[in-house]
Amino acid sequence: MYISKKRIQLPVWGLLLFVFGCQDSEMQIDDTYVFYQPAHFPEATYTLENNPVTEKGFLLGEKLFNDPILSRDGSVACSNCHQQGTAFADSQQHPLSKGVEDREGIRNAPSLANLAFLPEFFWDGGVTHLDFVPLNAIETEFEMDETIENVIVKLNKSETYRALFKDVFDMDEVTSPYMLHALSQFMVMMISDNSRYDQYLQGEEVLSSEELAGMELFESKCEGCHAGVLQSDFSYRNNGLDAMPLDSGRNRITENSQDWGKFRVPSLRNVELTSPYMHDGRFETLEEVLKHYNSGVQIYETLDPSLKSGISISDDERAKIISFLKTLTDRDFTRDPKFFIH
Amino acid sequence: MKTLKSTIALLAMAVLFISCGEETEDPQTKLGSSVAIEFDNFVGTSQVNLESEASTSYAYNTTGGQEFNLTRVQYYVSKIILTGENGEIFEDELQVSANADEIKGYYFIHESDNASKLIELTNVPKGTYTQITFNLGIDEEGVQEGAAGGILDPANGAPFWNWNAGYIGMTIEGQTSVIDESEFAIHIGGWKDIIPEDGTTQKFYNNVKTITLNLDVNMQVNSTLEPEIHIVTDIQKILGDVDFTATPQVHSPAVGRLFADNLESAFVVDHVHQ
Ligand code: HEC
Ligand code: HEC
Repeated sequence: MYISKKRIQLPVWGLLLFVFGCQDSEMQIDDTYVFYQPAHFPEATYTLENNPVTEKGFLLGEKLFNDPILSRDGSVACSNCHQQGTAFADSQQHPLSKGVEDREGIRNAPSLANLAFLPEFFWDGGVTHLDFVPLNAIETEFEMDETIENVIVKLNKSETYRALFKDVFDMDEVTSPYMLHALSQFMVMMISDNSRYDQYLQGEEVLSSEELAGMELFESKCEGCHAGVLQSDFSYRNNGLDAMPLDSGRNRITENSQDWGKFRVPSLRNVELTSPYMHDGRFETLEEVLKHYNSGVQIYETLDPSLKSGISISDDERAKIISFLKTLTDRDFTRDPKFFIH
Repeated sequence: MKTLKSTIALLAMAVLFISCGEETEDPQTKLGSSVAIEFDNFVGTSQVNLESEASTSYAYNTTGGQEFNLTRVQYYVSKIILTGENGEIFEDELQVSANADEIKGYYFIHESDNASKLIELTNVPKGTYTQITFNLGIDEEGVQEGAAGGILDPANGAPFWNWNAGYIGMTIEGQTSVIDESEFAIHIGGWKDIIPEDGTTQKFYNNVKTITLNLDVNMQVNSTLEPEIHIVTDIQKILGDVDFTATPQVHSPAVGRLFADNLESAFVVDHVHQ
């Protein structure tokens, strides 16, 4: 099932073709900015054919991601709420995100790892294509409180940005789809596929007996929802946080009462780094999360049937599951210099 | 994975071609001729005249007798298909692109711009056509291509829902004398059905409607004839039995559906210029 070959070789072929076709033997082969499909991951969902990643496009996306010009008063960048050190989740001091004028949001900013492979976005799945996600951040009053029209006006006033968009997309004017494409090029490259767990799957790493025991426990107790190599089946479920959920969750999108208080099953990649946990950041530690499943599950009518009587987890099992969860930490990703501000 | 591989391979080829300046363009073969489609917006029997946002003159009535005026009428038309009885078929090419000039097959009709109301189809194979089909709105195929330019660019006036992301297929805005705040806005959006598993009422709807209209004549297309299909859109029919006091603002697929269901009957082919 798991193929050890990590990266598809085709991009390299492409470059070879390029070199060969142009008889330019000086070309360097550098795959830092080449999108790749990890062999053991689900197939990428992102429309790369409409927006292939290039080095220049990635770097423009990175500049935009770190630039508060996208917010109304120039105070908040995407990177305020999505930081590399925490796998592009929010910093731990912010259970709920903080936007312009320190306005408090309603949800915890999730990690942005492996966005290219997700079918839907946000805790409630309200957005179904990555390109459209930033429109929400930009226009939500408690995030960047700006309009997309005005962002484009501001970018067009900047000589630097005009020159960059010309260079990357050959467009004389900055328009929103290219700005969104640049951000997506940056974000789809946030591939976290080199945790110790990945290395283990590829036969390159040995896990301790404690970690392996934790993995087995995880498979039997959690995989009903946190399934597969990204630990999510991407369904929307109520995992019993509240007897009367205040945030309507998936219901906000579908308007169905049966979806009240349901949230997307999150991927648990880098979960060691993404505290606090849950859509509202209510738990600070993984211990608290596991104690919740063991003894804190609240009954509400949309509660997932599999959690009706909680999940029994002994203290010993809890420690094992947590050591397994820590094998999902990918320091190569959180320290990858290609994401440093250039 | 296969598709991804081949996409990457294709991209590589594209890079090869571009970088070596060996662009080859397919010679445009002219298959047939052009057909124009004109959309004309009416309320009942009166042509739509937009009012300013401060206006208190109400030229129209709903079927329930509530007076109103219109400040904005706009909609997307896409996936146009012409068919004939002898197997003639013309399917308008579709392409979503970040580059405004490369968008094909998606049209944004808005009352304030006359040019937008005329769609020019080219290369329609010669033959006799009896039917036109189109989508009112942008369906999943269009939305899931991602960020797009021109008429699909939210920074350029494209009506778009950020949350519950997708295009608003039909926008009808105006004022009415029957409510204090006077403004009403009917936004018909939603491109996906989500059917509840527990049997409760569905609230999340695909409100993109496929509309098929018979042409009133056998429309001849050949290199010398360039026919024009004249379609009339009746806003009164779309509003149906709306009660502005109860429903002045419509911004969700669930409520929009009540209006989307009226769309099919709101379009008619008035006549075809041969
Ligand atoms: C004020 C803090 C804040 C800012 C600024 C911000 N985000 Fe977010 N981001 C969030 C929160 C909170 C969520 C989760 C929202 C939800 O699900 O309801 C989120 C979710 C996301 C997601 C979806 C992730 C997933 O797994 O579904 C992406 C992608 C994203 N943000 C990208 C961006 C980009 C790009 C920018 C800059 C244009 C940005 N964010 C700016 C707080 C922020
Ligand atoms: C019935 C489905 C289901 C089961 C079983 C389940 N989870 Fe979850 N889990 C969820 C959902 C849904 C969320 C998000 C809930 C929210 O934020 O409101 C979640 C959230 C989490 C989070 C927080 C992640 C974050 O980024 O905030 C962790 C950690 C977690 N689960 C671990 C586990 C572990 C470990 C198990 C097994 C002991 C488990 N879950 C079993 C559905 C489930």
